[in-house]
Amino acid sequence: SQPLAGHQAAELQSKVVPSKQILHSDNMEMEPETMETKSVTDYFSKLHMGSLVYSCTSKRKSK
Amino acid sequence: MEASCLELALEGERLCKAGDCRAGVSFFEAAVQVGTEDLRTLSAIYSQLGNAYFYLHEYAKALEYHHHDLTLARTIGDLLGEAKASGNLGNTLKVLGNFEEAIVCCQRHLDISRELNDKVGEARALYNLGNVYHSKGKNVASAGTHDPGDLPDDVKNALQKAANYYEENLKIVTELGDRAAQGRAFGNLGNTHYLLGNFRSAVLAHEQRLLIAKEFGDRSAERRAYSNLGNAYIFLGEFETASEYYKRTLQLARQLKDRAVEAQACYSLGNTYTLLQDYEKAIDYHLKHLVIAQELNDKIGEGRACWSLGNAYTALGNHDQAIHFAERHLEISREVGDRSGELTARLNLSDLQMVLGLSYSTNNSMMSENHVGENSFNGTRPRVGRRHSMENMELMKLTPEKVQNWN
Repeated sequence: SQPLAGHQAAELQSKVVPSKQILHSDNMEMEPETMETKSVTDYFSKLHMGSLVYSCTSKRKSK
Repeated sequence: MEASCLELALEGERLCKAGDCRAGVSFFEAAVQVGTEDLRTLSAIYSQLGNAYFYLHEYAKALEYHHHDLTLARTIGDLLGEAKASGNLGNTLKVLGNFEEAIVCCQRHLDISRELNDKVGEARALYNLGNVYHSKGKNVASAGTHDPGDLPDDVKNALQKAANYYEENLKIVTELGDRAAQGRAFGNLGNTHYLLGNFRSAVLAHEQRLLIAKEFGDRSAERRAYSNLGNAYIFLGEFETASEYYKRTLQLARQLKDRAVEAQACYSLGNTYTLLQDYEKAIDYHLKHLVIAQELNDKIGEGRACWSLGNAYTALGNHDQAIHFAERHLEISREVGDRSGELTARLNLSDLQMVLGLSYSTNNSMMSENHVGENSFNGTRPRVGRRHSMENMELMKLTPEKVQNWN
């Protein structure tokens, strides 16, 4: 019988896209998600400290 | 009491920023326990708890806290806070596979951002919407076995919407001069074009992604771009170019000391050299993949390596090695309960047996059970769906029709 390799090679040659006979990579590498962020200091600074962002502790120390 | 809640929350913020989300979560939860009458502070704590759980992949918890945040933001009439909570809720719902609700949430993020004339928020909402439609399209597509470009209409529609949102996002972030955001949009736009079968457009987008990754010295993003470029060139039939990009992926994976990614790059290279009919090199890379799969105790990866090695040795006419790996593939497929892998291995073995004529006898129990296994498939074609292993690759089937055509 004809060698198996001959058949497989013919199959591979016959297509531009990967042959169904091989495992092809379908592993897309996606970019990360972006999450929206909030901070307790955002509100804290607006409420108590004007435009400067201080931590709670530094505010207390400065008092 | 008030200061104590704030202090705990600030420590939670500090820990999360330092990358220790687990510890951050305990401080935020302690802050919630102490409580505060300042609803904006509470909203910020809920939001950060939601994000911390998101990064820890505890999505049910993330959903719970982002939902609390949304309710609170609406209660206090904080429109910007509502937009942010909606966006985060949308991203979480997307990961959980609830695409329709995710779209509603991300659309709300977009609407509010436009209402507030918040360009940054608008761009981010567009990116999130693109991601939801991309995931939706991919999710429907993975229910069947399709090559990129060969898609049902609903999948195509979702992916086209994703591409449109990424394009819209790109317009704004380009105006804003936000290169990092451009990099992200190009990467995902490239992958959307890839799935749509627009491989040239995919290449163009990933080339832009690569350029920006280099600008930032972001080697992980650079590695992602190389890998995605390799994938696109495979489908353009330019295997030499693909192999060059996969080699760069491999180089960076080694530098970044990421063994799973290294294995994946070896696997892609093995497949690429198979397409180039350079079976010696294919075997070399598949063996490298096999070693890492074994090291990481990734049985599915090991099974695939064996299958690929069996095919490559068959192509070289080395039937002894081919049978060795086909048997190993059968063994592993059984071990992991991969029915279609098992059938494929059986077909390979019976095929090899035919090639070798009587020189290979069914000297073990694997082949003798052949008919039992095949009957259990009841004449249905084996279909191999997406499987989760370190390389997350799709097993393309060896169809019974093709096996028949071989002889």
